Amino acid sequence: MSIGRDQVLHVARLAELAVREEELDRLVSQLNRIVDYVAQLDQVPADRMTDPFLPGPPAVALRDDVPDPVPLAQPPASFAPEFRDGFFLVPRHGAMEES
Amino acid sequence: VSVAAAIATQTGARLAAGEPLNATLHWSQALLDAEAARVDAAASPGPLAAMPIAVKDNIVTVEQPTTCASRILEGYVSPYTATAVNRLRAAGAMVAAKTNMDEFAMGSSTEHSAFGRVRNPVDAERVPGGSSGGSAALVAAGVVPAALGSETGGSVRQPASFCGVVGLKPSYGRVSRYGLVAFGSSLDCISVFSRNIEDAGRVLSVMSGHDPLDATTVDRPPMALPAPRADLQGLRIGLPREYYPPDLHGGVAAALRRTREAVERLGGKVCEVSLPHSPYAVPTYYIVAPAEAAANLARYDGVRYGPRKVGPGADIHALYQATRGEGFGAEVRRRILVGTYVLSAGYYDAYYRKAQQVRALIAEDFRQVFASGVDLLLTPTTPTPAFKAGEKTEDPVAMYLADIFVCAISLAGLPAVSLPVGRSEGLPVGAQLIAPYFEDERLLAAAAAIEAAVAADSEVR
Repeated sequence: MSIGRDQVLHVARLAELAVREEELDRLVSQLNRIVDYVAQLDQVPADRMTDPFLPGPPAVALRDDVPDPVPLAQPPASFAPEFRDGFFLVPRHGAMEES
Repeated sequence: VSVAAAIATQTGARLAAGEPLNATLHWSQALLDAEAARVDAAASPGPLAAMPIAVKDNIVTVEQPTTCASRILEGYVSPYTATAVNRLRAAGAMVAAKTNMDEFAMGSSTEHSAFGRVRNPVDAERVPGGSSGGSAALVAAGVVPAALGSETGGSVRQPASFCGVVGLKPSYGRVSRYGLVAFGSSLDCISVFSRNIEDAGRVLSVMSGHDPLDATTVDRPPMALPAPRADLQGLRIGLPREYYPPDLHGGVAAALRRTREAVERLGGKVCEVSLPHSPYAVPTYYIVAPAEAAANLARYDGVRYGPRKVGPGADIHALYQATRGEGFGAEVRRRILVGTYVLSAGYYDAYYRKAQQVRALIAEDFRQVFASGVDLLLTPTTPTPAFKAGEKTEDPVAMYLADIFVCAISLAGLPAVSLPVGRSEGLPVGAQLIAPYFEDERLLAAAAAIEAAVAADSEVR
């Protein structure tokens, strides 16, 4: 299967990733190389397929659902790009404006 | 001057002398001295008293920045410290430095760092392996006796092999990942570099154990220090034939023959076994890991961390796309795109679901071999010794194949260790020992016996 320029741009939009025009051809060729390589899993016979595997504990042990204050050594204002009155400041969300 | 203060001064001098390796991202003599003062003030010295340990820069500490070697986290300082680091400190260890790495732990050569490549201390023209190349280089150069790295698909064992040190990946769920920046959540393990097996065991025993702050840690007691073994009597060691291909590098093959002979001299019974789905490990890994990475790295959006770029349009999508487009390096962007692609509508079943099913077959191969009476597996860690910088940067798949012998173990969640077993034209060669799930103690006990029986610094023929 071959991935074209439009498909790379579509996936980049889904991933919220700006892609520069001058890097696009190289990305198309590298992604095709990777996707062609991983496609060899098609050689594994379908009748061998079982349930997906995840390592780790058989069941996730949940803590009691009691909210505790989160002890932070640094306040959010120190690492957020913009922070005011307890809020993270971001540009307007265009889609919300339209609805 | 206390012992801890003297070691802090000496470590600072070694870090300064090691700067040409480009292995560190953040360290200061003032922080080292503060670590020594903390050790001196402790009520009891602890099992790792005054041991300087370097920490990969994707493990958070409040004293230094945590950048994951990425522009997108430049200057970021975590508001909390990782459980693994807190446990090491409680045992008396001193955090010496934060180490350089492939950006977000994606790479096999530590060439994909936003802050420049790391040099292999054995040969500066060659890569130290990756992604934990900075930690590996510091231990190999004798700057620190131990360092933390992280493994997603071999990122400690592979650089350990390239640099000639011990690299220990514990069982998945053995060590808390609270404070390890997430890459592939079903794979990530904090792991250890050291100069010898005994130190790796000491560090792991202190770090291991259940953590209420990480629901994926297994609720079992910390690993006990393994009782040293003088021999391998009574142990069956399997050699999986898929890990000894006919075109294996001659020096690697010779070093592994020598290791096999050492195992037999020690009384271990060697047998050939098969892990038939091994050839699918790298392609499986390069679906599962990018998919999980694409999800985990969605949080770096210019809102909550690091520098923010405002793109054309000035709405929130422009901010996300510009921040991420400029903040992530080439390999991270490639993997995010691959991960997003394999998870996108119409492709999920063909790629991600299938990869998780093949992953089950890979794990089942190991389970069956161990159930057949094999106690441990012995393989090469890498198909070749360290390659030259720039050799594989143009072809991502060629780079991925550097992990061909390490990533199946990560997919299966098993413990494994790479130990140096010889040199080929001066370059270190590592052997990998693999144990069943949660048999980390058995792994280390046998590895110590092999370590004592092979001349790791001597040339193989």
